[in-house]
Amino acid sequence: MAKEIFMPKLSSTMEVGTLLQWFKNEGDSVEVGDPLFEIMTDKINIEVESYEEGILLKKYFAEEDEIPINHVIGYIGEAGEHIPEAPPGESVAAVQDILSDSRQPAMHDLEEIEISETTTINETGDTGNENSQSEKIRATPAARRVAKEHNIVLSEVPGTGPKGRIHQKDVGDFLQSAPKATPLAKKVAGAERIDLHTINGSGPQGKIYRADVEKMRQPSTASETGGRRMKMEGIRKVVAERMLQSKTTAPHVTLTTEVDMSEAIHLRKQLLGTIEKQTGFRLSYTEIVLKAVAACLKRHRNLNVSLEGNEIIFHEEINLGIAVAVENGLLVPVVKEADQKGLSDLTAECKRLGTAARNSNLKPQEMSGGTFTISNLGMYAIDAFTPVINQPESAILGVGRINEKPVGRNGAIELRPMMVLSLSFDHRVIDGAPAAAFLTNLKEVLEQPFKLLV
Amino acid sequence: MDGLRELTYLEAVREAMSQEMRENEDVFILGEDIGVYGGAFGVTRGMIEEFGPERIRNTPISEAAISGTAVGAALTGMRPILELQFSDFITIAMDNMVNQAAKIRYMYGGKGKVPMVLRTPAGSGTGAAAQHSQSLEAWMAHVPGLKVVQPSTAYDAKGLLKAAIDDDNPVIFYEHKLCYKTKSDVPEEQYSIPLGKANIKREGRDVTIVATAIMVHKALEAAEELEKSGISVEIIDPRTLVPLDTETIIGSVKKTSRLVVVHEAVKRGGFGGEIASIIAESEAFDYLDAPIKRLGGKAVPIPYNPDLEKAAVPGVDDIVLAVKEVLNRS
Repeated sequence: MAKEIFMPKLSSTMEVGTLLQWFKNEGDSVEVGDPLFEIMTDKINIEVESYEEGILLKKYFAEEDEIPINHVIGYIGEAGEHIPEAPPGESVAAVQDILSDSRQPAMHDLEEIEISETTTINETGDTGNENSQSEKIRATPAARRVAKEHNIVLSEVPGTGPKGRIHQKDVGDFLQSAPKATPLAKKVAGAERIDLHTINGSGPQGKIYRADVEKMRQPSTASETGGRRMKMEGIRKVVAERMLQSKTTAPHVTLTTEVDMSEAIHLRKQLLGTIEKQTGFRLSYTEIVLKAVAACLKRHRNLNVSLEGNEIIFHEEINLGIAVAVENGLLVPVVKEADQKGLSDLTAECKRLGTAARNSNLKPQEMSGGTFTISNLGMYAIDAFTPVINQPESAILGVGRINEKPVGRNGAIELRPMMVLSLSFDHRVIDGAPAAAFLTNLKEVLEQPFKLLV
Repeated sequence: MDGLRELTYLEAVREAMSQEMRENEDVFILGEDIGVYGGAFGVTRGMIEEFGPERIRNTPISEAAISGTAVGAALTGMRPILELQFSDFITIAMDNMVNQAAKIRYMYGGKGKVPMVLRTPAGSGTGAAAQHSQSLEAWMAHVPGLKVVQPSTAYDAKGLLKAAIDDDNPVIFYEHKLCYKTKSDVPEEQYSIPLGKANIKREGRDVTIVATAIMVHKALEAAEELEKSGISVEIIDPRTLVPLDTETIIGSVKKTSRLVVVHEAVKRGGFGGEIASIIAESEAFDYLDAPIKRLGGKAVPIPYNPDLEKAAVPGVDDIVLAVKEVLNRS
């Protein structure tokens, strides 16, 4: 009998899914684990794999259609089988599945289905290892409880207790280490002797599909030359994901300008003592740039924006993020309402946030709510660079070193302390002219800091 | 009056009785050689001088007579405390305790009551051999109508004895011979520790030890030892077997996921089996991460030879080993 393909419920809040694309055509043969179609939910995009093998007999919906959860999308079966002409609506199988699991209906998601799938395969597929399968599993009550809570099949957990008894800690360790993978991906990885741990899954929560395993099969230069390997995790992973997302979603444009910092240097010298007496910290160029940026953003509201969905949010507050290099990554603590603060307060706050970032002491609220970011590489021999926008913000300012350069002034060449500012902005939200106007204004303020008083 | 001093367990038991007898005319003690001689272990020494032979009554050598007298006196409104020289001799008092004391209040629909305390030293360790060294508390705990108390410290002994005397039901009050010389801070004034309230003698994370009487002290020693290996032991002293504070024990096992029960009484048919069963039946079951371990005396009469006597009951090393076993670290 033909098997239903239905819209899976992927999260407790999901009501409908949008069909983005079909990977198979009617009449194509389908294997278990083959990607059938891609859907978009309120949270994620995901490829849905087939749980059945056979021929794709029917596709009831086209790309861009919105389909309620559990509604039948198509059928897989043998050629010539009878199937309804019109979409039959809600899947009987899926609904029954939910009813039988009324204990925790919200939990009924794709994962659970897949786990029961895994069990079935374990019971029937693995004929070579029948003995260990049929034997009862030694596990403590606590281990069983935790395994049940996390839908773990105990037979997959290695027990460290006497006679292989599985303890709570073993389940915990398994939970930590076990990569989520589809049955087919596991099978392929097993056949190819590829350790699932080394594969980066492309599915939700790093779930591994067959395609991910196959990618690993192709020899890469890195694996041939050896070299130290470090798992992408923690802050490194977050930075990686955010950078990739920013670079791939926001069309970056970077404008640069050179600023004569003579007056700013003069200003700093004059304020250095006063601020050090007040705060115990030395005023640095970061704070002077910060102050100038805050003042300019106030006049150029169209740079203090975020893109959310299809709306542009013009932020009331000017909250400036400062990129801080930390071990193994990058953190961006946020100075809230920077336009309301004087150089003394900004100095104290920047120093405190910088220290907290390096000591991993930042509170979540100190890293959120930014509307614009400043990245200062002035301590290195860097003149200009193309900073990556810190989303959901739409612009970022890169600050280079102050370096004496020959500059033409009044018909003569003079050596002046010059600094390059690099402004990257998201061209979806901000156009070139307003960005240029902002940067010009910023240059003016830094060259003539008394303009801050205006 | 409210000062703390260090008292021995033996002195604490005596003080509990003396203070109550000064307050309450109905309380008197009866037993063998408890007068001028001061009892087999000296618990009542000096009391006859204060309270006289009417209230510190020497009896013939007959546990049946002592217990029968006590049940009768209790029924007439007195609150007798009877002392048995060795808890082994409870066998002779058994009919009066089990068939009379434990049943009368129930069978007469509450019209009569039996407010009496049977105090008696138990346990091995004094070279008193097989007939004077047993721990038979599980027998008494089995009988509905009797309460069973097993204090391990001087502080607990004084407070629990006060509660036992105040109780309108017969209470079997086991004093461990090796506990008599242990000391702890004891308040001068009278106080009562409710029967059925366990005490956490030491807080820990990794394993729960439920220990009674002298085994509480051995478990504490073992815990010190285990701490050096980074193992954090929680020790619970139920203090009273009947009524039993199951809530505290279950709560602790839920926290630590592991249980070792240790008592001196013979393991077979011992009260440890009851505690293990309670855990197996309770909500703590789903939290157990190792089989429950019971430590108890060997199924032999207590030997006279001092080395064998020690070997017949659980020691500190046995407890250390058992804990490591449930943690898979042996």
